[in-house]
Amino acid sequence: MTSFTPYTYFQCPCTESSLPTHRLSDSSPPAENESSDDERTFDPRAPRANYSLYPLEHLFYCEDCHQIRCPRCVLDEIVTWYCPNCLFEVPSSTVKAEGNRCTRSCFQCPICIAPLSVSSVEAPPSGLGAEIATQSGPFVLNCGYCSWSSKEIGIQFEKPNGIFGQLAKVKNGGGPILTAKERRKDREDRKRDFSGSSVSEIREETPEIDVPREPLDPNEKLDAESQFSNLRAFYQSQLADASPVSALGFTGDYGYGSPGALSRIMGLYTGSTAFDKKAKSKSGAMREARDALEGLQITPSSDEEALVKLHAEGWHTTSSCSQRAEFPNSQAQFIDDLRPVAYLLRTKRSKRCKTCRHILSKPESKVQTTRFRIRLVALNYIPSISLKPLSPPTSSSSSSSLLQPMRPVQFLLTFKNPLFDSVKVTLATPTKTPGRFASKVTVLCPQFEVGANTDAWEEALRENGSRSSTSEKRRTKADFLEGQHQAEAGKVWERGRNWVSVVVEVVPASLSFQGPEFLKTEERRQGEGDKEVREDEDVLEIPVFVRVEWEADSAHDEAGGLGASKEKEGKEKRELAYWCVLGVGRIARD
Amino acid sequence: MSKKPVKGEYIETDTGNKVSRRSQIIGTTNIILGGKTVIQAEVIIRGDLLRTYTSSNPGEKQGNPVAVAIGRYCFFSRGCELRPPGKLYKGQFSHYPLKIADHVFIGPGSIIEAALIGSHVNIGANCVVGKFAIIKDYVRILDGTVVPPNMVIPSFSIVAGRPGRVVGEIAEGEVDGMDLREVYREVRN
Repeated sequence: MTSFTPYTYFQCPCTESSLPTHRLSDSSPPAENESSDDERTFDPRAPRANYSLYPLEHLFYCEDCHQIRCPRCVLDEIVTWYCPNCLFEVPSSTVKAEGNRCTRSCFQCPICIAPLSVSSVEAPPSGLGAEIATQSGPFVLNCGYCSWSSKEIGIQFEKPNGIFGQLAKVKNGGGPILTAKERRKDREDRKRDFSGSSVSEIREETPEIDVPREPLDPNEKLDAESQFSNLRAFYQSQLADASPVSALGFTGDYGYGSPGALSRIMGLYTGSTAFDKKAKSKSGAMREARDALEGLQITPSSDEEALVKLHAEGWHTTSSCSQRAEFPNSQAQFIDDLRPVAYLLRTKRSKRCKTCRHILSKPESKVQTTRFRIRLVALNYIPSISLKPLSPPTSSSSSSSLLQPMRPVQFLLTFKNPLFDSVKVTLATPTKTPGRFASKVTVLCPQFEVGANTDAWEEALRENGSRSSTSEKRRTKADFLEGQHQAEAGKVWERGRNWVSVVVEVVPASLSFQGPEFLKTEERRQGEGDKEVREDEDVLEIPVFVRVEWEADSAHDEAGGLGASKEKEGKEKRELAYWCVLGVGRIARD
Repeated sequence: MSKKPVKGEYIETDTGNKVSRRSQIIGTTNIILGGKTVIQAEVIIRGDLLRTYTSSNPGEKQGNPVAVAIGRYCFFSRGCELRPPGKLYKGQFSHYPLKIADHVFIGPGSIIEAALIGSHVNIGANCVVGKFAIIKDYVRILDGTVVPPNMVIPSFSIVAGRPGRVVGEIAEGEVDGMDLREVYREVRN
């Protein structure tokens, strides 16, 4: 059996409004129907519940709304962008201009996502003065985890730094990648060189003409970028031809502002007659791309190549889905189509309350510091709840981790108060847990007060006396074993400076569908159809409604440290109520 | 404490370190313990893997060479191993010091070859932290993770998988819970 650690989850009230509708459709026990609103219970197994339950550590507390805030009801604001590998901060202007990847030398292995390191291909210098001599290139990127190397895709670098810039210029296999500007220039040059001669002529002529550039080949294979730029150039020229040159002379890139272009666009939607004829007369002038120069790529040819390659090299040379997902713009079907992946930037974010817009958490903007300027976590405002079995599990019983059905077990609920005021806690649980297997739950002491937290100084003093407190604990345990100290209804089990333990008695339900009729609940009779115990249905979860009341100094909120407001009125009654879920344990199947 | 010198599990040092009698600590002169650190049974610390590569500025070399430096309130669980990372540099193989800051928990059976581990780092059971990995503050590494060599893990990360990748972030409220003072206090002979 897998081990089970007791847990407590807190419900964020932001989802509360959506719960009743769900409960209405359920047939709740008749006793609860009478006053539906008050008696409404929280079902931790409801499909929605999963989205509102959080461990206390994940919750915030808004001091202005006096309410719990969960990750779903806060707003994130980016404070800093940084590279998770080199930990350099990236200004937001750079992020906008160059994208959300590290533009230094931080790369991930395209095969296994481990970080790549730069190393030299050459043997290290040896002999006299080897320490002073610097490594000479060429350099490659190496993966320390799966031993992949950029050599496998034929990429080497001249310098060990600025890899991002160098990689942007190299194709897999070592060929150069042209930038958009260069590509345009290249295309224009090539056009000029061969203008006047038809395509067929070029083909014949090419062997003779000794031009440095490749000839214009209509079936040329293009990569994604050059195809895009070709297409773009083609459509721009088409647009320029189609729309009359305006008085202002706008054509090309920003031609949409020209009256001609505008009227055409308007005509698209309104279909107005005035422009219709004009548009119709123009429509013949627009055509689609015809060859590679204009950005047309006929795909089947590349598929055939891929098939041939697959036949020759097998499945293991193809890339996996997750590997391909890193390259959304290119079809990286094979492993040698993959390229090193630049690290995605990470962010430091501050969090705001969605309702009142107050900041709940704000980290220092520097990447290296881990401090927070503001950090209003629920941990500092709400009593934490921990759960453990009352009687220490005896080593002899092997099945002690499982709860025995129909046998009462007692658990110790410990509330620890983080506030510097003492709080009054009221607990409420449904007598039977919701779900098909209803266990009986009794909180022996549903109302108690938890003492105030003290500051760090007192805690430090306590540190020395910690030994005595543990001996006290042991005594109570011994008392329990002797049977002197019994769990009594209405009484707190144990009490500390800022914590209180109370006893909860649970009678776990039986997971079998047989058994006397009177034991069956309404839900179970309905669910007679499927007699399987569903996943995690054997986990005993208790919904607990916790109400916390305390008196806080309101002066603390409104007017900082004003000495004048030292009155009785300075105290303000606060109240907070929320649902919790206690995961107690798994029930043994019989 | 006790009347007879009954040998307990741990040897407690002046600075409050609790070192198990059944741990293997090699090269003790090259290991620095900040204090209040717990070293459980079968833990291996390789202080003998010293730096052999002479550093470029000779003024730096004074006193004892350090192979492993550990801060305060660290906890090394049963059977974990700390070894300084080593690599070839300019044709010479050398180990480099392993630095561990405060409140670092290392789970049972994990092997650590990192260059640096920051404060409040929790490494689970049976993990491998590769050579020259740098782990910053407030990081949780889940059980069975293999952190690849040279990986840098930024603060507030949760890392899992083989190879390890950042799978989540440490929530603001979890920061307090990563303090190991309480854990140290609970360790008794």
